[in-house]
Amino acid sequence: MNDVLIPVILILLAPLLGGLLYGFERIVKARMQRRIGPPLLQPFYDFLKLAGKRRMMVHSAHAFLGIMHFVSLWFALAVLLLGGDLILVIFLHLLSTSLLILAGYSTRSIFSHLGANRAAISVLAYEPVLIILAVSIFMLNGTFDTAAVFTSSEPLLYKMPLAFIALLLVLPIKLKKSPFDVAEAHQEITGGVELEFSGLFYEAVYTAKWLDYVFCYTLVFLFAGSNILLGAGLLVFTFLYLNALDNSTARVSYKQMLRFSLGVAFSLAFINLLINSLT
Amino acid sequence: MYFFITGLFLLPLIVSGLLLVLPGKISKRLVILTSFLLSALALYIFINTTAPLYFSVPGYVNEVVAGADILLLVYFGWVALRKKSGLVGILTVLQLAGLLYLLKTLPASHSMQFMVDKLSVFMFLLINVISGIIAVFSLRYIEEEACSAFRKKYFLSILFWFIGVMNLVVSSDNLEYFFLFFELTTLASFLLIGFRKDAVSVKNALTALWMNQVGGLAILAAIFFIAYNGYGEATFSNLLAHTAEKGILLPLALIAVAAISKGAQLPFSKWLLGAMVAPTPVSALLHSSTMVKIAPFIILRLSPALKDTPVAMVLIGLTGFVFIAAAVGALAQDNFKRILAHSTIALLALMIMMGAMGTPVTIVASLVLILFHGISKCMLFLNAGVLERVFHLKETSDMDRLGESGPFTSLVITLGFMSLLLPPFGAFIGKWLSIETLGALATEKKILGALVMVAIAGGGAVLSLLYFKVMGGLVSRSGEQDRVRFEKTGPIYSATIYILLGLVLAGMIGLPLLLTHYFAPVAAETGRQAVPVVTEGWNLYIASMRLPILPLLVAFFLLPVTVITALFIRFRKVDRAREYMCGEKLNYSFSSFYFSTDRATPYFYAAGVLFLASLILVALI
Repeated sequence: MNDVLIPVILILLAPLLGGLLYGFERIVKARMQRRIGPPLLQPFYDFLKLAGKRRMMVHSAHAFLGIMHFVSLWFALAVLLLGGDLILVIFLHLLSTSLLILAGYSTRSIFSHLGANRAAISVLAYEPVLIILAVSIFMLNGTFDTAAVFTSSEPLLYKMPLAFIALLLVLPIKLKKSPFDVAEAHQEITGGVELEFSGLFYEAVYTAKWLDYVFCYTLVFLFAGSNILLGAGLLVFTFLYLNALDNSTARVSYKQMLRFSLGVAFSLAFINLLINSLT
Repeated sequence: MYFFITGLFLLPLIVSGLLLVLPGKISKRLVILTSFLLSALALYIFINTTAPLYFSVPGYVNEVVAGADILLLVYFGWVALRKKSGLVGILTVLQLAGLLYLLKTLPASHSMQFMVDKLSVFMFLLINVISGIIAVFSLRYIEEEACSAFRKKYFLSILFWFIGVMNLVVSSDNLEYFFLFFELTTLASFLLIGFRKDAVSVKNALTALWMNQVGGLAILAAIFFIAYNGYGEATFSNLLAHTAEKGILLPLALIAVAAISKGAQLPFSKWLLGAMVAPTPVSALLHSSTMVKIAPFIILRLSPALKDTPVAMVLIGLTGFVFIAAAVGALAQDNFKRILAHSTIALLALMIMMGAMGTPVTIVASLVLILFHGISKCMLFLNAGVLERVFHLKETSDMDRLGESGPFTSLVITLGFMSLLLPPFGAFIGKWLSIETLGALATEKKILGALVMVAIAGGGAVLSLLYFKVMGGLVSRSGEQDRVRFEKTGPIYSATIYILLGLVLAGMIGLPLLLTHYFAPVAAETGRQAVPVVTEGWNLYIASMRLPILPLLVAFFLLPVTVITALFIRFRKVDRAREYMCGEKLNYSFSSFYFSTDRATPYFYAAGVLFLASLILVALI
């Protein structure tokens, strides 16, 4: 019973959890900069404020694709938490990303286009690493189902530490954190794809980011298997690492990002795969 | 049944002859009628084929085939002389010498020249249905071509001739017959690529000719070595009967070379890229239902013999490399058709790889890819034709107004690209099966498996970037155009494209049924092993692979339905905002990044040649 109940609760609460995570992140980040930071529930206050704003859009297709991005991301997360096939999960996530990219392209807005272009580049930067990770997991467990990983008593972390490092290196790309936040780059392209969304429609894109948090941290949690204590440790570590990195680095260009992720993270994942296949 | 199969061989050939002499109006009806008839025939044969059919033809046909071979090579020789092409000349002389030697030494008795099994029938369906649609599309396309009335008839005539020859290729068992038909497809593509008669067309047609001749020569060599190694008659079934014997490795490797040359894998990729100069229906034909699909067909046909041999390992390595190289090469392209061509080469590599692996799941994956790639690519190429004729666009960087002037074309192209990339489309299922079985390969074959896996993961991501790059320019509309009205492109254009779109969507919805009743039986007979497909609740099992149906069903609503709905949905009571320009007034070109990956191309060819050499080498050792 528990193995269905917990995922279902997690899935239903995912936007809430993601929002809390985001709120907490803003506090931690502020404390790192010796500021006090906003209250924990600030993302939800923002959420409420956005809901009350005058409704504006560029055109209906754009607004609709934004909403569907949120819906499809939630679905990808659901499949992941319910223990679905990891390759399918990666491609369902790609599906939701591509709806957002398509939304970005669907307007004649310069920044929206630039952001979509960069989001597409980001896909190239992280996707191969994730697929190699999935295959490595398959080689250890004999199945692509994440259900088997969640229940496995031997944490993946000990068997494939290099893959974990590779994941840590591409997570900032996926979560649009500095130094790899080229797709969003507020000071440069004013938020990229997000820019043309406003009010209620921005809400969808905004909360989709919270879902992405839950998605990424679930990927991290995979490395702990059924060891919840270790999982919690990994989550805290990754959380601190991401925020420290975000606070202490400056944005690199998309070319540098691509070179780094394909050169370093992808190589690490590959070496990990080799080690897995040879032992 | 023989009657119907012979009908499939002869009908297109007869129609091809008739089209040359009949007046325009009647030939138009004839084309449409024949296309329907061929599809119906292929479907009928598919439903009624249970066991492989072997059949022989009367003795004089052997003489006719030998005569046709010589005539064909004489024609190639004449082309070489007239166009002053040394390569074609040398290859023709070699082929002629080899052929004459074989005709003299080999016994002329043949038992069964033709074999029609489920794989052949599977190919019949693809060839006749898709090519039929292309032929109908060509009716309108070729009308607008600037050439004489006779050449328009001639164009349609070669199309049907190509269909007939393709039907023969996939049903011949005897390699001498196979050689003739193989070379006849080469001839057909040579004539079609050179159709426009300008300098570039002639040059690219010659490239296609000599590269495919290498394949023909390899088949002749294979026939020689089968006899030389004492296996007697050179037939596919004979080769398959001697699975796991060392002596057949070299013939297998040589036939694989023929497949690689037809399938435009490195180092032969140049001919397919050059084929873009031809009228667009030709590209559609070459890429989706004929010509290049011979490559995975040959490999699938031989897969029980190839499986687990060193030749298969090199093939897997080669195709893994081609997959990523073609994807990377595509990033540097701007021409819409060239981009499509690169993606074809990459996906063909995947089909060949899956065929060479030869496990139940990989054969299913290969078949799924062959079919769905065929449909999607055909749809994309026909749209390239529409872009060219209706919108006068060829380069993707010029297409930034298409979302406004041609929303339907832009939508179909978007769906076409997504169908090659994302769940729940058929081509994605093929890719998914590939990745998951490669995981198993990585466990067994260690370093080779790991390297191929990296190539597929990297290449797949590069391809997705490529598709985004193309879509990026196509879909943008300004905020003033909330209401979308589909453009009118003419009944023939829109009818053919609607049919293809319907096939893409129907294939996606019917996939669970297709897998159990369509792909699995074909795969079982092709791989000579049972392909257990079981449906349990919401899961479909192919051997040990689990396909969850529910997520795919949801994905159907999340992707194609969403993208189509997005064009029609209207949010009322929402105010409009103009796009934010940050106060800047500049002419921004709404196209994507450019990547200059051209510099790597020579290295790709060099690596391709190395792979080719090692393919032969491992067979010799």
